Amino acid sequence: MKLLTCPMNGPRNIDEFQSFGPVRARPDPNATADRDWSRHLFRAENRKGVVVEWWRHVPSNYFFLAERDLVSNEIIRTFDASELRDRA
Amino acid sequence: MAAGTAARIYPFMPGGAADGTKLVSGAIMLSDLTDRPRFGLKGGGSADWLAAQGLTLPAVNRIGDHRGMRILRLGNEDILLLAEDAGETLAQVKAAWQAAPAPKGYSSWREEGWAWTRLSGPRLAEAMSALCALDLRPQKFGADDIAQTRVGHIEAVTFRSPKGFDILFDITASAYFARAVAAVAGHTA
Repeated sequence: MKLLTCPMNGPRNIDEFQSFGPVRARPDPNATADRDWSRHLFRAENRKGVVVEWWRHVPSNYFFLAERDLVSNEIIRTFDASELRDRA
Repeated sequence: MAAGTAARIYPFMPGGAADGTKLVSGAIMLSDLTDRPRFGLKGGGSADWLAAQGLTLPAVNRIGDHRGMRILRLGNEDILLLAEDAGETLAQVKAAWQAAPAPKGYSSWREEGWAWTRLSGPRLAEAMSALCALDLRPQKFGADDIAQTRVGHIEAVTFRSPKGFDILFDITASAYFARAVAAVAGHTA
């Protein structure tokens, strides 16, 4: 059983979670060139390295962030979204 | 029973969606508390409004008490009041909430959306260990702890009650859950 540690509920079976994909920049569609906007809409990044992703603990409907290594699939850490907001 | 709830038909009642589904009894017992009074608030302002009514809110995933009501903090702004034997206190809070101006959160309709069951009996620990992957032994999971997890393969909220484990889950899964518990009882008895 693979475990993921929810910042609110603690370590749980990864089946209890849903992935919502990487945290992405949110460009302003009115100020972005068509080419860049279409790239934002239709292309997904596919690189090696560490990504920050949105995850949801389904039973408690709690959304949080996880840092995951895209090569080893190791989850490096999980944290509340306020941490990212505070940093911004 | 509070006004307006008398006509409600809950799943295990005659005419309900799970009518005819047997609740196991014996060494493992499942009882249905879905018709008992409860009230849930969710969204910005919920916690502040309840605190202003004099309720002391516990930390997230902990249970508090207010004049016989159990206060379940399911999230910062997701709070559930269970009033098994304190229907009047709950009715007062509910009436005050309905009359209050915003911000006060919004009703999460737990009395309609969630089933409330209680698992008890001498083989309770074995049944729970078959239904739920978490370590719920008393030294790990206390009387005021809440687990938001899976029980019987469905999303559920579970916690200790003096008589066993209370389990809250999607009301539409009532018949499924009763059958899942019956299956576990068949294996462990």
